[in-house]
Amino acid sequence: MSVAKIELENVSYVYSKGTPYEVTALDNVSACIKEGSITGIIGHTGSGKSTFVQLLNGLEHAQEGRVLLDGKDIWEKPKEIGKIRFRVGLVMQYPEYQLFEETIRQDIAFGPKNMGLDKEEIEKRVLMAADFVGLERELLDKSPFDLSGGQKRRAAIAGVIAMKPEVLVLDEPAAGLDPLGRDAIFTSLVNYRNETGATVIIVSHSMEDMARFCEELIVLSHAKIVMQGTCSEIFAKADFLSEIGLDVPQITGCMKLLSQKGLSVGDGIYTVEDAVRELSRRLSSL
Amino acid sequence: MSDAFIQVENLNYSYAEEDGREIPVLHDISFEIGRGEYVAILGHNGSGKSTLAKLLNLILTPTSGRILFDGKDVAEKELTEDELYQLRRKVGMVFQNPDNQLVATIVEEDVAFGPENLGLPQQEIRRRVDESLAIVGMTEYAHHEPHRLSGGQKQRIAIAGIIAMLPECMIFDESTAMLDPSGRKDVLRTIETLNREKGITVLTITHYMNEAAKADRIIVLDDGRILMEGTPAEVFARPEILRKAGLDVPQCSALVEGLREAGFAISGDCYSPELCAEAICRYIQEKRA
Repeated sequence: MSVAKIELENVSYVYSKGTPYEVTALDNVSACIKEGSITGIIGHTGSGKSTFVQLLNGLEHAQEGRVLLDGKDIWEKPKEIGKIRFRVGLVMQYPEYQLFEETIRQDIAFGPKNMGLDKEEIEKRVLMAADFVGLERELLDKSPFDLSGGQKRRAAIAGVIAMKPEVLVLDEPAAGLDPLGRDAIFTSLVNYRNETGATVIIVSHSMEDMARFCEELIVLSHAKIVMQGTCSEIFAKADFLSEIGLDVPQITGCMKLLSQKGLSVGDGIYTVEDAVRELSRRLSSL
Repeated sequence: MSDAFIQVENLNYSYAEEDGREIPVLHDISFEIGRGEYVAILGHNGSGKSTLAKLLNLILTPTSGRILFDGKDVAEKELTEDELYQLRRKVGMVFQNPDNQLVATIVEEDVAFGPENLGLPQQEIRRRVDESLAIVGMTEYAHHEPHRLSGGQKQRIAIAGIIAMLPECMIFDESTAMLDPSGRKDVLRTIETLNREKGITVLTITHYMNEAAKADRIIVLDDGRILMEGTPAEVFARPEILRKAGLDVPQCSALVEGLREAGFAISGDCYSPELCAEAICRYIQEKRA
């Protein structure tokens, strides 16, 4: 049985509460994120995804309910919420806009410096983080302005990885990147998990990316969690996903069309490899 | 093609490093875009597609080669301010970041910015603003503040601002890259309307396959060269070339590729789930017959 790293218990969050602009972002949400998993959060725009991830490191404070890290309420000692943020690293959308130091090296070192680490350890962390995201060492002394968009994105992620968070949370880490840049980022996240055993939580709109890189999925719709499970469990419910305004991976859509046309293929197939295997089996038996 | 709106002939571009070295970015690129055509340029980051966009918008000047808009060479000599002005009126450009393209504090004022600068009479400006907002489906937001809109809505306002100039051609440089799926769909639908109903020549520069699939023709760029050119069906039928260019292969094309490798001779186009399912069913029927 796997252990829960993060749990949400009956969490509600309302923006501008008590004003005419009141918006309920999360409504009595409970969830469990397994230690060491790569968990994806999916949902249409405005479903509460970004609020969900901002609660995980205490950037937002739920008005109702609790967020537990290793079974402990992260707000138990409100003055020590800063320590939680070292343990749960959050990479926001378009994090490259937040690079602010003169060199990439200084920017990546910002987090570890705030943790009060000594110089030697900081330097070690910077190199470790740069290696994880595949940023060449000669780039470290350049200004953020001299880097390409994809490199800047990787530098920003390295700045969070350098804190060695037990939980790494990323809001749309590959948005706007081309296929090569996207694959490089997701591969580095998988490597980070595999080598450190950390829990990785990813928010994305791309069902194809989620299908390829996540093990578990949480589906949000209108401020509520409507499904939680493995990729194949979730993508088996293609009709429901369309109903709540989400796409399914192209391959899942194709398999569904085939079963509508009378070819009996398994539910919940979401990768090209599985589809080739399943269809080869079906076609050979003709 | 005799009625070409954009002609690019043997275009080369290199930029100079600080130490004086010339770094070539585009190598001898030639292509034509017909009047009223919808063409997508596909390429990964660093393939030269952004440089090409900047050349087409005359932000950069080619090292050698010609760019003709509507038969007029725009790269030959430096254009006068007036010529540049006329050209930018004819060819509108939409960029990646919606936040960088809006100038006013009210949506309809933003859309009116271009026509106002043309010195048009008040009623004409009013007419153009209303019509442009209607085309992009944003009429009800005319009095909203742009910064409160979603990315896709902002991008459609940016598009409306260009349509109000009555352009003949529009170039979209990664215009959907920062949008969520619903914003992307809205913008793509708007682009299709502009092309199919208003007859505007469209060139989109992108790395999204499903976006390129909507075009009449795709030009694949890799390493500053044209790697392949054809209809979406022709281009997506060549997964090996797409991979070489650092691009995604549509999942359904990869599925059929895998099945063919496993010895099942499935024929026909198969880049969308519908086409793919049809192709597989056709294969089954032929086998059974």
